[in-house]
Amino acid sequence: MGDLSQASVAAFELLLSGDTDIWEIISLSFGVSFSAILIATPIALVIAFFLAFFQFPLRRTLIALFNTFMSVPAVIIGLTLYLVLSRSGPLGDLKLLFTAQAMVIGQIMLSFPLLVAMAHAAFQAADRRAWETAITLGAKPWRAFFTLMYEVRFGLIAAVVAGFGRVVAEIGCSMMVGGNILHATRNIPTAIALETSKGEFAQGIALGIVLLVLSLTLNAGVSIFQGKGESHS
Amino acid sequence: MNPLISYSDISITMSGKLIFSIDKLEVPAHQCTLLTGRNGSGKTTLFKIMAGLLKPDTTKIHYQGLDMTWSQGKPYIQKDIIYLHQQPYLFDASVTDNIAYGLHRSGENKASIHKKVMQALEWADLSHLAHRSAKQLSGGEKQRVALTRARILSPRLLLLDEPTASMDTQAKQQTGLLLQRLKFEGISIMISSHETHTVEHLADQHWQLEQGQLNVLKKSPVTDNVTHLNAAKQKN
Ligand SMILES: Nc1ncnc2c1ncn2[C@@H]1O[C@H](COP(=O)(O)OP(=O)(O)OP(=O)(O)O)[C@@H](O)[C@H]1O
Ligand SMILES: [Mg+2]
Repeated sequence: MGDLSQASVAAFELLLSGDTDIWEIISLSFGVSFSAILIATPIALVIAFFLAFFQFPLRRTLIALFNTFMSVPAVIIGLTLYLVLSRSGPLGDLKLLFTAQAMVIGQIMLSFPLLVAMAHAAFQAADRRAWETAITLGAKPWRAFFTLMYEVRFGLIAAVVAGFGRVVAEIGCSMMVGGNILHATRNIPTAIALETSKGEFAQGIALGIVLLVLSLTLNAGVSIFQGKGESHS
Repeated sequence: MNPLISYSDISITMSGKLIFSIDKLEVPAHQCTLLTGRNGSGKTTLFKIMAGLLKPDTTKIHYQGLDMTWSQGKPYIQKDIIYLHQQPYLFDASVTDNIAYGLHRSGENKASIHKKVMQALEWADLSHLAHRSAKQLSGGEKQRVALTRARILSPRLLLLDEPTASMDTQAKQQTGLLLQRLKFEGISIMISSHETHTVEHLADQHWQLEQGQLNVLKKSPVTDNVTHLNAAKQKN
């Protein structure tokens, strides 16, 4: 018990003293997850919009597929990506394994189904009249799309926040394709898991606090935006 | 007098059911046409096809001297025909921004858009609502904002889906007044309605959609044509 409280005090000292290793890990985590969400979001939004607003063959199948892929464990995505990127794999020549880029790719794959599914739900709940009104008032389809996104913005923000929340805290995929290399691919979850197992409690607790606060904030954010979206329409 | 636009062979099937099949529909220019029909007869569907919002199975369009398929005509009809929903949809923005929405398509500068919007608000006696959030307006106010938002784009044809449904007497009067002004400005109008008496005084003719067919119940007297043509000419 005494050890634990000592470690906790040390954790706060680490965070507040601006320990470079810790803050490097935190910023890598954010950098990777932000990049992944930034790349995945625009494509996911367009797909979600088409799934919600247009009839085409295989539409239902695609929706079901995205919903199913949401539940694929991160470690399975990591394993698949590992095999693809490993030296003997089909994309081995790119030499991406154990780089931050590989982590970004993994997190894109991980967040994509969630982004599509949640954005699809938001668009699905949108008023059909909004699209027709924009078009009949002379908006080109792209502008009508942006108008529609604005109308359901709370649901879409909730989707993005939830997507970020999922990837920033996941460990399986980052561990497999990143490899937890200090100064290169060590992010918050991999550092917590591996450094703690080596007895570095203070660092683990410090990062744990950051991740916990972040996750709670993000989850609160999702609920707030979803609530706003509902009370709005 | 030449029709504003004519459609022929309009037919549409939804969920395997033929909703209607209309041989010919000629929209009279500068006139107000009342369209009635039972619930589910296809009035809304017909309006959406006419406005280029819903793709029919077949349909030929004759517009501005051109013969086109519906898909070919879509850009033209989307530009000149505005459809208003039974309960108009206002975007989640201020009344002013709603009215300005369509003007942004032409790439006008902000100052001139602002001026036009202010004039439009005055025209509709809505100046007092300018900065209100559109989502919070009453049904009658929404309808008038939607009419103003459409008028500012100088459409050639307005398709109004039950514009006065579920309005109280005063709101009906206010909407009726705007419709009268629109008609006087030479905009052709089609109104679908169950309550024929509230719009009857505006209507030059009366069509009915029944069992998939379009019937003409009342044709416009020739004199009417002339007066409205003159009104339109004076304006231009
Ligand atoms: N998206 C759709 N899918 C299948 N059927 C539809 C669809 N939209 C409309 N219909 C059907 O088409 C028919 C015509 O509907 P429409 O809304 O055009 O009638 P309406 O004359 O406007 O009725 P109301 O007076 O109630 O507004 C109805 O039988 C309706 O059930
Ligand atoms: Mg209808």
